[in-house]
Amino acid sequence: MSLAAEAFVSQIAAAEPWPENATLYQPLKEDQILLSDSASSLAVQTFLRMCGLPVLVSCRANAEYMSPSGKVPFIHVGNQVVSELGPIVQFTKAKGHALSDGLDDVQRAEMKAYMELVNNMLLTAELYIQWCDDYTATEISRPRYSNPYSWPLNHVLAYQKQWEIRRKMNAIGWSGKNLEQVYEDVSQCCQALSQRLGTQPYFFNKQPTELDALVFGHLFTILTTQLTSDELAEKVKSYSNLLSFCHRIEQTYFKEHEREGQFGSSRHSKSSLP
Amino acid sequence: MGTVHARSLDPLPMQGPELGVQADDMDLGEPEHEEKQEVLENKDVVVQHVHIDGLGRTKEDILTYEIADVFRANNLIDVMKKSHEARQKLLRLGIFRHVEVVIDTAEGTDALPNGLDVTFEVKELRRMTGSYNTMVGNNEGSMVLGLKLPNVFGRAEKLTFQFSYGTKETSYGLSLFKPQPGHFERNFSINLYKVTGQFPWSSLRETDRGVSTEFSFPIWRTNHTLKWEGVWRELGCLARTASFTVREESGHSLKSSLSHAMVIDTRNSTILPRKGALLKINQELAGYTGGDVRFLKEDFEIQLNKTLFWDSVLSTSLWGGMLLPLGERPSCIADRFYLGGPTSVRGFSMYSIGPQSEGDYLGGEAYWAGGVHLYTPLPFRPGRGGFGDLFRTHFFLNAGNLCNLNYGEGPRAHLSKLAECIRWSYGAGIVLRLGNIARLELNYCIPMGVQSGDRICDGVQFGAGIRFL
Repeated sequence: MSLAAEAFVSQIAAAEPWPENATLYQPLKEDQILLSDSASSLAVQTFLRMCGLPVLVSCRANAEYMSPSGKVPFIHVGNQVVSELGPIVQFTKAKGHALSDGLDDVQRAEMKAYMELVNNMLLTAELYIQWCDDYTATEISRPRYSNPYSWPLNHVLAYQKQWEIRRKMNAIGWSGKNLEQVYEDVSQCCQALSQRLGTQPYFFNKQPTELDALVFGHLFTILTTQLTSDELAEKVKSYSNLLSFCHRIEQTYFKEHEREGQFGSSRHSKSSLP
Repeated sequence: MGTVHARSLDPLPMQGPELGVQADDMDLGEPEHEEKQEVLENKDVVVQHVHIDGLGRTKEDILTYEIADVFRANNLIDVMKKSHEARQKLLRLGIFRHVEVVIDTAEGTDALPNGLDVTFEVKELRRMTGSYNTMVGNNEGSMVLGLKLPNVFGRAEKLTFQFSYGTKETSYGLSLFKPQPGHFERNFSINLYKVTGQFPWSSLRETDRGVSTEFSFPIWRTNHTLKWEGVWRELGCLARTASFTVREESGHSLKSSLSHAMVIDTRNSTILPRKGALLKINQELAGYTGGDVRFLKEDFEIQLNKTLFWDSVLSTSLWGGMLLPLGERPSCIADRFYLGGPTSVRGFSMYSIGPQSEGDYLGGEAYWAGGVHLYTPLPFRPGRGGFGDLFRTHFFLNAGNLCNLNYGEGPRAHLSKLAECIRWSYGAGIVLRLGNIARLELNYCIPMGVQSGDRICDGVQFGAGIRFL
């Protein structure tokens, strides 16, 4: 989002309270959504739950094309449409809901740095495994991605997407990597996160921030998604404090809320952690 | 008997887009016969040979169909008439730059005393012609490159390719046209294309990539076209501010449809006719040959023209259409009908009638529109017989309605819904005919029956287009 657009959005947004019918859009849960989109969507849902903002989840086959930035998830609040975690955090902040207000400047810079790490490492690794590993792409990614479309459009769109991601990998220098190196990157990223987390309940001690939402979104999705091999999940499982961190957030923001019925019908139907 | 040259028979081109008096405006009279020719008129002649000079890559077999009639002539006037017709037929194939006819007495050993030889001197079009244009408009500049290969395989097949490279959009079209030898109206064509359209009234952008095959043939006085089309359509929002209803329609769809069109046209001209009628019926069935869009679409167009006193013409027209979505999916914004604007219901903005969401018009599943026009020559008739004849003044009354139908309600409810809240307008203006393909209008309009949400254009409205109510 450009600076001007961002300023405009926050100006408008500040004027109106958070409506009851705010909706989050993502691809079809059962048949279409891929690991990376599912992780991003869960991160946004977690963030909104941490803020105490109710949101309905709507699954649409064309969610990716409805999004103004071409990326999922996006939220429709009032007459505003905002996509991806970063802009959504800005948007809720303009409405007076923020998680990172208690942090000082150094901590905030640190939080941004770790969020960049997760986006550059975990998200990129997920995209690499989905689209650059031929076996995963053939068995899972292409059939799922193109599920709602009829022949021959399904093949066209799936290969178009694969080509786009591979071009992106080329641009950032990941195309030369093999699967082992990517798993190694994931492992290093997890190690960095694990060290930063230590024994605290959240990354910045007692108070959850958007970093916690982002890390939970990715790790929980990796742990609970069936891929062609379990190696990715195994890398994450070797860090026990990250596992208990995922447990804790799931318990606090998804299980408890469901029990209280605060959010009405929650659509979060992921299986529990091992 | 001397040589009769028929070169100057008819210098008119087949149908040119140039301004000026059109062939269809004049009642083509018989060539005038001088006293000298009357003597020849009754004399029996036999056409012994027909030559075609100047053929290069054209195959002769397709030309024999066109010139066969010349052999059936049995007096000189008939020979001239038939040769003239054959010349017209040859020109219509669109493969010759010019065709000249020479009628001479027969020569050679087998020549009969009353034998004639007819020679068509033709000049073929170049193997390939190209064009290059630049266009500027709507904050967009584009470069259009065209290539045309007339007569590509020697039997009047035509291959055309057009490529437009713009600052915003790129589009192209490739088309192959093949007529049946001897029946030019019976033809087949294949098209491959990509087009991008921006529809600001709906905040919608549409990119279509498609392939279509078409088969056209005449039956009695009607022309039929059968068509199969497969289109990959990509819809998107034009701006961030597009309404959410339009945003929900974004994405990809695949339409595969069979359609049939029937046309009866007895008008003397397609733009500003003075007499005759037009009936067009179009039906499209999508979804049974694949794809993920299923609907049945019917629409028609009727126009009647009658010349009244002082060269004025009364023209009435009626359009209507209905879209029936099949299956549980609702109709797509790209398939629905739109109404309003200087080419349909005047006095309203372009396609700005009917259902809308936050200022974006969504179109409707049923519509009708009717118009009555009185065309008269310009007051005091300046430039009569020349440039002034391209202009007409007109007085019009338009009406129409566009809405969505609930198909559970039955036909009676549909009709009453279409009869409610009719938009109408009246006014007067000037019409300029551009060749025989388009026209420009400058009108003063008074819109009536405006419903909330409609965007009107009260007062002076300018319009350009090829299809007019």
